[in-house]
Amino acid sequence: MQSFIAALLNSLDIALLLFVIAVGLNIIFGVLNVINFAHGALYMLGAYFAYTAMGLLGLSFWLALVVAPLLVAVVAVAIERLMLRTVYDRHITDSLLLTFALLLIIDESVRMIWGPSIQVVNPPALLAGTVSVFGVNYPLYGLFVIAVGLAMMLGLWLLFTRTRLGRIVRAAALDREMAQTLGINVPLVITGVFAFGAWIAAVGGVVAAPMRAIGPAMGEKIIIESFIVVVIGGLGSFPGTLLGALVLGGIHGFGGRFLPEINLVLPYIGMALVLLLKPQGLMGKGASA
Amino acid sequence: MSNQTRTIPRPRRLCTAVCLALGLGVAGSATAQEPVRIGAIYIMSGSPSVYGQFAQQGMQLAVDEINEAGGILDRQVEFVLEDSQIKADAAIQAARKLVYSEQVHGLMGLDSSGVATGVVPVVPELKRPFIITHAATPDVTGKLCNRYTYRLSVNISQNTRAAAEIAAETGARRWTTIGPDYAFGHQSWEFFGDYLKELDPEVELMERTAFPRFGNEDFTPFINNVMDAEPEGVLVSLWGGDLVNFIRQANNLGFFEQDFEVLMTLGGATEVMSALGEDMPEGIWVGTRYWFAAHENATNDAFVSAYMERFGNPPSYNAQGAYAGIYAYKAAIEEAGSTDPEAITDALSGLTFQAPNGPLTFREGDHQAVVGPTWGQTAEVSDEYGVRMLDPMKTFDGDLVTPDVSETGCSL
Repeated sequence: MQSFIAALLNSLDIALLLFVIAVGLNIIFGVLNVINFAHGALYMLGAYFAYTAMGLLGLSFWLALVVAPLLVAVVAVAIERLMLRTVYDRHITDSLLLTFALLLIIDESVRMIWGPSIQVVNPPALLAGTVSVFGVNYPLYGLFVIAVGLAMMLGLWLLFTRTRLGRIVRAAALDREMAQTLGINVPLVITGVFAFGAWIAAVGGVVAAPMRAIGPAMGEKIIIESFIVVVIGGLGSFPGTLLGALVLGGIHGFGGRFLPEINLVLPYIGMALVLLLKPQGLMGKGASA
Repeated sequence: MSNQTRTIPRPRRLCTAVCLALGLGVAGSATAQEPVRIGAIYIMSGSPSVYGQFAQQGMQLAVDEINEAGGILDRQVEFVLEDSQIKADAAIQAARKLVYSEQVHGLMGLDSSGVATGVVPVVPELKRPFIITHAATPDVTGKLCNRYTYRLSVNISQNTRAAAEIAAETGARRWTTIGPDYAFGHQSWEFFGDYLKELDPEVELMERTAFPRFGNEDFTPFINNVMDAEPEGVLVSLWGGDLVNFIRQANNLGFFEQDFEVLMTLGGATEVMSALGEDMPEGIWVGTRYWFAAHENATNDAFVSAYMERFGNPPSYNAQGAYAGIYAYKAAIEEAGSTDPEAITDALSGLTFQAPNGPLTFREGDHQAVVGPTWGQTAEVSDEYGVRMLDPMKTFDGDLVTPDVSETGCSL
């Protein structure tokens, strides 16, 4: 029973971090119709900005959690205005190539600025150590990650269903021309959505930093996992992203504990099964045009 | 036909670092002769690229020292560095490029066992000596051995032989492992188990082991799995960023306060120790292929202080391996009296040269250097070096931990 609870908590903590990364990817896809390969690199930038803010400038973790994602959002505004904007009218492969190039550029820039060494930041004192959950000693920080994921989920759901801003974004996603005719500044909405997606990725990066080593290419690992989440859950589906993240988190959490011999292939088996049985993903509505 | 004529570079190759180390500015007595050229293949991209950076620094230091002192056979020496991308096919392509278009006299490098097992069988067709300075699979100086391939670094059997000695001394009898899910992790466990059984036939090697995927980020499920199994000893063969992640997550779960012994086969790597600082648990047994504070000789003293002064941190084992690789070529070329690749290859066999970790000899039988790892227990963090020092510390004699040539599967 104890090992089941530990595996469950593990699954949730992995799943909710993945959800945070993948949901940003999915929002950007939904509105911009761009599959953002550079999303993992933005996550990495969040972690590195936090590392610099905490190490070099001596800011607290909490301040870094505010500052670093905002800086990444600023970078994202520049990316959208200067580069992405030029490829919306072209075939989707152009934006794929562009964001893939961005991934490589950001990766190498990080290596040039911070060097290839592994960096470490510590969790804030408030979240250090372990707590007992139903008799299982679990890192407090893991519970914090779960809380951040849940808060992000609730916040996004409220934003998109209950606010005017959310409705504007959904309108812009559904029909750009109609939204423009109705007086919505669509280019501004698009820039905002890209920056917002990047902000979410960077929040994920800052939150991941105290428990995962910071190093170049940390973004590549997470983007592959996020793609698996999106494929399992369905491209463009918000509940699907959550489901996909939970499935993959469960595969890692339970698989690593009870089937460690085959944990390597489990995520891919899961993805292959979904693609075979339900090619749009578990909750996908098919690719939007 | 040949791969090197591929005209469309793959994206990863765009970031290939091609670094020409021309010691021209330093050299007072530049000669008209062509320089000696060494081709190096290390991992320069992706998450383990810190290893490539260390190797580059080690080579740079060696090349500058040699050029300042008059070069090799009165010729300057330079190195050309290519990215292995930690893929065998990329490394093979890099080796061909270095030989056919860069015209190097000898090759060195390789960080991964997987890459090395792919590259080594191709070396004879290149007709250049190849000194491996990092990749640890026994196979490249075992069943895959060939006339051109040498290794100066500690291999898996040497390191796990030493680990088994340490393990036997701890008195723990039920052992399990947590290691990366590829050749290195599995071979480490297999060799360790065999050696430990030799030392103590009563020891139990548990069925329940954990092999997380290389580059896994969350080790918590595997850590819990090992803790549930209630072993008496755990062999950890994770390395690099994985090991850093593992140790921090294990700290959180109280893994190091349990009643079992923990041996980390590559825990004594400086990149891991300096990333972790105080977070590296104290009193844990860690091994490393080279520990900067373990060798009292003039070569090591000069190497460590020059490296510290130039790069600001103590040299890691990969820096030392690459540094020693350049000096191995210097010794072999001087022995051969020429830069003819066949002559260098012959000169390397049985050659003894001075490396920071002592005089090393490439055995004639399998071309493996007779060398042992350093193991020690983590102690206080040193203010000077920013890493935990090792105390007690033991450097194993190469003769004691290197298996007989007849056991390696190599026939030359």
